[in-house]
Amino acid sequence: MEKSNRLYVFLGALVLVGIIFITRLFFLQIIDTSNYYKAQAYGSNEITIYPARGTIVDRYGKLLVYNDASYDLMVVPQKAKDFDKAALCKELMIDTTEFNKRLKKAARYNPREASVIYKNLPFHLYTRLQEVLYQFPAFYIETKIDRRYNINGAAHLLGYMGEVNERELEKDKYYKPGDIKGITGLEKSYETFLRGIKGKKVVLVDKFSKTQGSFAGGKFDSLPTAGENIISSVDLDLQVYGEQLLANKTGSIVAIEPGTGEVLCLINNPNYDPNLLVGQQRNRNFSALLLDPSKPLFNRALKAPYPPGSTFKTVQALIALQEGVLTPATRYPCHGGYHMGSITVGCHPHASPLDLENSIAKSCNAYYCYVYRSVLDNPKYPSVQAAYTQWTKYLNSFGIGVKTGIDLPEESSGIVKKSNYFERVFGKNWRSSNVVSISIGQGEIGLTPLQMANVAAILANRGYYFTPHVIRTIGDKNIVPDDFKKKHYTLIDRRHFDSVIAGMAKVCIPGGTAGRTGITGIEICGKTGTAQNPHGKDHSIFIAFAPRHNPKIAICCIVENGGYGADYAAPIANLLIERYLATDKTAPSSKPEMQKRMLTANLTGAKISASDSLKALANKPK
Amino acid sequence: MEEKIHIDWLSVILYIIIVLFGAMNIYSANSGLDEPLSLDFSKEYGKQVIWISISAIVVFLILLTDYKFFNFSAYGIYVIIIGMLLVLLATGSFNKGAQAWFKIGAFKLQPSEFAKYATALALAKFLGTFDIKFEGKRNQLICFGIILLPMLLTLLQNDTGSALVFTCFILVLFREGLSGWWLVLGFYLITIFVLTILIPSWYILLFLLVVLGAIFYFFRKQKQLVFVSVLIFLASTVYTIGLDFAFSKILKPHQQQRILVTLNQDVDEYYVNKQKGFSFFKFEKKADEKKSESKRDYSYNVRQSKISIGAGRWFGNGFNNGTQTKAKLVPEQHTDFIFCTVGEEWGFVGSTIFLIVYLVFIGRIFFLAERQKNIFSRVFGYCTGSIIFFHFFINIGMAIGVLPVIGIPLPFMSYGGSSLISFSMLLFTFLKLDANRINEISRLY
Repeated sequence: MEKSNRLYVFLGALVLVGIIFITRLFFLQIIDTSNYYKAQAYGSNEITIYPARGTIVDRYGKLLVYNDASYDLMVVPQKAKDFDKAALCKELMIDTTEFNKRLKKAARYNPREASVIYKNLPFHLYTRLQEVLYQFPAFYIETKIDRRYNINGAAHLLGYMGEVNERELEKDKYYKPGDIKGITGLEKSYETFLRGIKGKKVVLVDKFSKTQGSFAGGKFDSLPTAGENIISSVDLDLQVYGEQLLANKTGSIVAIEPGTGEVLCLINNPNYDPNLLVGQQRNRNFSALLLDPSKPLFNRALKAPYPPGSTFKTVQALIALQEGVLTPATRYPCHGGYHMGSITVGCHPHASPLDLENSIAKSCNAYYCYVYRSVLDNPKYPSVQAAYTQWTKYLNSFGIGVKTGIDLPEESSGIVKKSNYFERVFGKNWRSSNVVSISIGQGEIGLTPLQMANVAAILANRGYYFTPHVIRTIGDKNIVPDDFKKKHYTLIDRRHFDSVIAGMAKVCIPGGTAGRTGITGIEICGKTGTAQNPHGKDHSIFIAFAPRHNPKIAICCIVENGGYGADYAAPIANLLIERYLATDKTAPSSKPEMQKRMLTANLTGAKISASDSLKALANKPK
Repeated sequence: MEEKIHIDWLSVILYIIIVLFGAMNIYSANSGLDEPLSLDFSKEYGKQVIWISISAIVVFLILLTDYKFFNFSAYGIYVIIIGMLLVLLATGSFNKGAQAWFKIGAFKLQPSEFAKYATALALAKFLGTFDIKFEGKRNQLICFGIILLPMLLTLLQNDTGSALVFTCFILVLFREGLSGWWLVLGFYLITIFVLTILIPSWYILLFLLVVLGAIFYFFRKQKQLVFVSVLIFLASTVYTIGLDFAFSKILKPHQQQRILVTLNQDVDEYYVNKQKGFSFFKFEKKADEKKSESKRDYSYNVRQSKISIGAGRWFGNGFNNGTQTKAKLVPEQHTDFIFCTVGEEWGFVGSTIFLIVYLVFIGRIFFLAERQKNIFSRVFGYCTGSIIFFHFFINIGMAIGVLPVIGIPLPFMSYGGSSLISFSMLLFTFLKLDANRINEISRLY
């Protein structure tokens, strides 16, 4: 080769190198996008800006739940190298082994993402760390919003917050490790509304994780959107008063506005202060509550099926009327009870025979044994079993034996046995006499307090109900879910209600089973129940609505081991009705003696007392 | 007779463009985020402005110098630089593991940068001497001697990168008549070197044996070919085993790791494989806290560099807006890894334009070199082009992860006074020679 031609070898080499480099660049910059995303991850640190969680107010706008800032110490494990561990542990006042354990846990989850290493810094640590944290570049403080509850009860209604678990982290990409979300109650049901939309600030960090400023000119930043505020249907005053009345008793109260299905109060005792499950002591308190033998975490109102006792007679009467086996004028005799062969259902002494109206007012057991047997032995149906199945359909239309659909988690559907259950117990051709105890709400029947309150609402509405719900509206646009606006009709015609309600109206006036508990000036339609309890004293039960015409409140009160319905349940329910309907909530009760008796009665000797928490409430800023 | 200056303006313009573009990127890599555009002489981008000014003065002086001066004083300059390198070896102050600096006040002088210039002058002078023919064995040995002496001294300073640059003079010798087979041989040796590291050595030997067998079978009549083949096979065997030995036993762990990282090998996995009879020699991983640090650093450099360039996508983040650049995630970004800034802030489009401009610039130098009428100028021109090309090839190849991390600057772009001044001297000495080629001709005739 002529030597001067070797120039072209050089120029050729230049072209070749150019092609190789440009091809490689094309691969690095255009085809392989992983570098681009790594660049965002490496040079940046995403700081989540938590939105303010929606507040919850009661139906009159009184604050129930609000937010308070809390501080978590975060760590990016990958960057947590070469720092003075002993010094940091000293600042945090924890020992190194514990610290190492937490650091390892964080690294196991994701070494490149920030995890919480110290939850809920006490304020003095927070201020101290602000000064020294620059020495520990892998650590930073994240401000989170904690919940505060303006009431020391209502825990089962409002719910509590807790850290998301790993399953939820996978299911919903909204959450990051260490985030908190609603675990029960309203907080859980309306989590997606309350939580809002997270914002983020992406900051540019150098190789020492030191913030250099906004990443890419704030292109990836976003502001958080605060969660929706919720107007609860609860009447704070009624809730607190109910908790006072139920203090030192085991039981449950549910009140519903019949015209809307809005839950006015939802009370359980034992109860607990929802503020216990916030902040640094949360885990300790939670295990204490979990281990408490009185089961304060148990939501009786939604989960405990009680035998409805005599309150069930209202439902029995309505079904029988609808089936045509009973008329308001039907009379049945009662000779100290219902006797049939070996079966005896006892009854208290009263005049006999009674018509329907008075059977309710006097709560005659025998009457309903006849009624229920006439329903089951109705010749319209080929068999008792078929009649029973039809009967359960009636119950289901009352929301009994099915979930009411309330907007709170973990509702129980209560107990209504299927016909084949009795086949197993009593044989294929079981007879109406086998199940006669159901006629008076004992035996194979169980209703949750919520379901009983719903029955009261159905009676108040004369035949329909709205799905019970604990909210009025959601957010600024006052959204009400459509499900809550729909009337659910029972299978009972409206006309059948009159005689039953007429009977109920006699219950709280002298001569009725709760004749001494009535409130002057309010026409309360109620029905007492005394549910036999194999474990101890009878449960005191009462369902009611008031006023008789144009009802404003339907209520169910259960006091476990409270004896007769008239002993505790009826007085408490009637006091609540009085308070709810009163224009001046501070006015003294017209039955001060009854009120005092209820407030002071101690049936459990339990230490958890709602009235204690109310004192604290009085001291709280509103 | 009046001597006219016909300087090649295209080269000068390309030079100015590259230098200014380099200063912009140094500013970007060096200044903080949201820092107002200013000139701070305590920072590298401020100092680079000083270096550019000094370079301009040097360039001006070179253009004023009589072109015959370079030919005349070539050996003298070479001797002075060799002397400086020797002095450095004896008294050099430590810097980045390489004894390569003279401290002059606040500034540091790096003689190895100027050694390339001196070597180019000396080589041009020798080959340009009347009646010297490159074909002669003795002359070839002298040429290699001129190249190897400063190369060896630089190597002894632990400056492997700068020492490797001297291999680019082979290209000049190729232009001057060195057989192309040497380049083929070089390529063959490098291929075997890479394969020895990547696959078990006996695979290579087995493959060579198969090739040898094939030659025996098909060309058994041609005795000479068979004989040469056997010789090549034996030499290759010795070379392969020797390399294996050298890599396993002689190289320090951080050197091994540097090579492994370049070849896209997972270092830890590699060591495990090696211990399972990957090599003929028992492989010891010399676990040493400090060494494993350095291992992480090399892979870190390359990874960060690739991420930084990859972040640029089509059009880049724009001047002074590179997030990786601003976060200072790439070590040595204003010096050896300046191309990362180009990649991130100017994107694929900008980088491609830059590469093309740079390659046109180098091509122009080779083109100018070839049109020289005297051998001194031509050899010096090829030296200039080859040195810049080698730096460009290694530097950008390293930044985009196709070549080992060898710390040498990108000419006219990377921060550094010695580098910028010496490259400017190199380029403008050649442009001065080129400008006077008319005078050469007129003098001859």
